[in-house]
Amino acid sequence: MSLKILAKLWAFFYYTSCLVGNVIIKWGIEKGVFSMINLTAKITHWVSVNCLKTAAILCAATAANAILLQCFQMTSSATELYTLGVLLVSLNTAGYLWGIIAAVASVLCVNYFFTYPPFHLNFTIEGYPVTFLIMLTVAITTSALGGRVKKQRELARERTRLTEERQRILIETEKEKMRGNLLRAISHDLRTPLTGILGASGALLDNDELIDPASRQELLTGIHEDAEWLLRMVENILSITRISGGALSLKKVCEPLDEVFSQVAAKSRKRFPQIELSIQIPDEVALVPMDEMLIVQVLINLIDNAILHGGGNAVALSAETENDIVRIIVRDYGQGIPPEDLPTLFDEFGSRDKESSDATRGLGIGLSICRTIVEGHGGHIFARNLPDGGASISFTLPTKEAASYAES
Amino acid sequence: MPNPEKILVVEDETTILRVLETILTANGYQVLSACNGTQALSMASSHCPDLILLDLGLPNIDGTEVIKHLREWSGVPILVVSARDQEEEKVRAFDLGADDYITKPFGTSELLARIRAARRHANQLAAERALVSPSYEFQDFRIDFERRVVTVGGREIHLTQNEYKIVERLARQPGRVLTYATLLHDIWGPYKGEDNQILRVNMANIRRKLEKNPAEPHYILTENGVGYRMADGD
Repeated sequence: MSLKILAKLWAFFYYTSCLVGNVIIKWGIEKGVFSMINLTAKITHWVSVNCLKTAAILCAATAANAILLQCFQMTSSATELYTLGVLLVSLNTAGYLWGIIAAVASVLCVNYFFTYPPFHLNFTIEGYPVTFLIMLTVAITTSALGGRVKKQRELARERTRLTEERQRILIETEKEKMRGNLLRAISHDLRTPLTGILGASGALLDNDELIDPASRQELLTGIHEDAEWLLRMVENILSITRISGGALSLKKVCEPLDEVFSQVAAKSRKRFPQIELSIQIPDEVALVPMDEMLIVQVLINLIDNAILHGGGNAVALSAETENDIVRIIVRDYGQGIPPEDLPTLFDEFGSRDKESSDATRGLGIGLSICRTIVEGHGGHIFARNLPDGGASISFTLPTKEAASYAES
Repeated sequence: MPNPEKILVVEDETTILRVLETILTANGYQVLSACNGTQALSMASSHCPDLILLDLGLPNIDGTEVIKHLREWSGVPILVVSARDQEEEKVRAFDLGADDYITKPFGTSELLARIRAARRHANQLAAERALVSPSYEFQDFRIDFERRVVTVGGREIHLTQNEYKIVERLARQPGRVLTYATLLHDIWGPYKGEDNQILRVNMANIRRKLEKNPAEPHYILTENGVGYRMADGD
C-alpha cells in the first residue's frame, strides 16, 4: 500500500517538475531570452537540477509522513515535516521560486494525502481556507527566510574571497615595492662604476699619446677594479632573480661545510690578497642542506663588508653545530657597526641611500640579499658588536648530521 | 719563436675572441679562431691545433657536442670556458673528455697557467703510459702506491680502504680533474648512482687527516660542482 503511494507520488512530482521545467523553458524561448543553444542547455540543466532537488525533498517529506501514518496513525506532524521540506528546498535551490513552488505543493499534498478523506482534494472542510492560507504564508515566509539565509551565506563566502583577494594584492604590492627599491639601488650602484669605466677608457682612447705610463696604469687599474665591482653586483642580481619567486626556487642539496668554506676562502683571497682570514670548522663533518651558490654569495657579501667597513684585514669565519642547526659566524676586528644602524641593518635598501650615495660603495644591496637568502633557507641572521671590539654577523641554517656516511 | 704552439679558440663573442687572441698572441702562441661548432670541427681537423679553447655556449652545435665529435678521433687537450650558470654542462663536458675548464670571467694569468698545465698533461700522458710511476709526491705529501702508504712530512697517515682508493685514484693523474661520477664509479662500482654525498663526506674526512687547514685544502683541490683534482707541482 505505502509503496504504491510512494510510486504514485514519485510519478506525480516527476511529471510536475518536468512540466514546470518545460513551461519555463518555453516561456524563455518565446521571450527570445535564450537565443543561444548553450544558454538553453545551461538553463535546462539549472531547471532540471532544481526541479529534481525540490521533487526529491518533497518526496522525502511525503514518504516520512506516509511512514508515520502507516506505523503510528499519525497525521498531526504532516504540516511540520512539509515546512521543514520547504525550508530545505529554499536553502538548496537558486532563487525564491522553488521555495514557493514547494510551499504550494506542500499545501496541496497535505490536503491530498493527509487530510480526510485521503486522495481527494477537498477544500470544503470547515476552516480549511484559513488553514490553507496560514500554511501557505508559513511556507512562503520560510522560503523567503531560507533565501535570505542562503544569500547571507553567499555574501559571507564572497566576503572571504574578497579579503583573500585583498591580501594577495597587498603582498603583491609589497613585493612590487621591494623590487622597485631593489632596482633603484641596483641602478644607482651600477651607474657609479660604469661612469668610471667609461671615463677612464674614453680618456685612454682619445688622448692616448698625451697620457704618461704611470697615469695610464692608474686609469687601467681603475677600469679593472670597477669592472670587478660590476661583476660582483651582477652576481648579486643573479641571486635576486633566483630568490624573487620566493623560497621555491632554492636548489637545496646537502653540502659539506668544509667545501663551502674553502670556496669562500679561495674567492675572498683572490679579491683581497692582503686578507688575514682565519677559518674554523667543526670537528664532525657537517652536511648542511643549502643552495650552495647562494650561501657562498652570502658569505662573500659578509666578508666584503667585514673588509670594507671593519677597518682592517683580519676576518674570522667559523661554524658551530648545535642540535638541529649550524651557526656560521663572520667577525671582524674593526670599530663595529654604528649602534643606530643595527636595528635596520638587514632592512630596506632605501634606508642606506644616504650612505651609499657618497663614495661608500659596498653595503649597497648586499645585506638585505643575505637576509632574504638565509630566511629562504629557514634560518635567521643576526648582527651585533662584540665587547672586545669588532662586529659579528652570524646566521643559522637547519642541518642534518652526516653520521650515517662516516666510516670508521 | 720558431715553432709556436697552435691554439684554436672557439668563441662566438667577438669582443672576448679579440681579447683572447691578443693575450695568446702576446704570449707567443699562434691563434686560430672559430666562432661556431661546425667551423671549430673543420678547423680542428684541417689545422691540428695543439690545444683547443672551447666556449660551451655556442650557436648551432653545442659545445659538448663539439667535444663528443672531437674525441672520436682526436686526443688534443680541450680547455672548456664556461659561465657561472653552466655547471651541469661543465660536468658533461668532463665526462665527454674535456681536460680542464676555466670559468668566465677569468684573469690573464689564470688562463695562461691553465693552458700550460693542459699542454704539460698532454705531454706527460704518453710518458705515463710507458711507465706507471710507483709514487706520487707533492711538497711534503707522498704516496707510495706499492706499499699503499700515505705520508705528510714523514708522518704516516692512516686512511680507510675507500679513503685510500680515492686518494690513489686522484694521485694517479695529478692535476687532472676527476668528476664525482668518475670517482664514484671507480671506487664504489657502477651501481652507486648519482648521489655524491658519500664521496664528499669521505673527502671531508680525508682532508681532516691530511691537510693542516681542512677548510683551505692544499693537496686535494675541489672543483666546484664538478669533482676533485690532486695538486701537481706548478
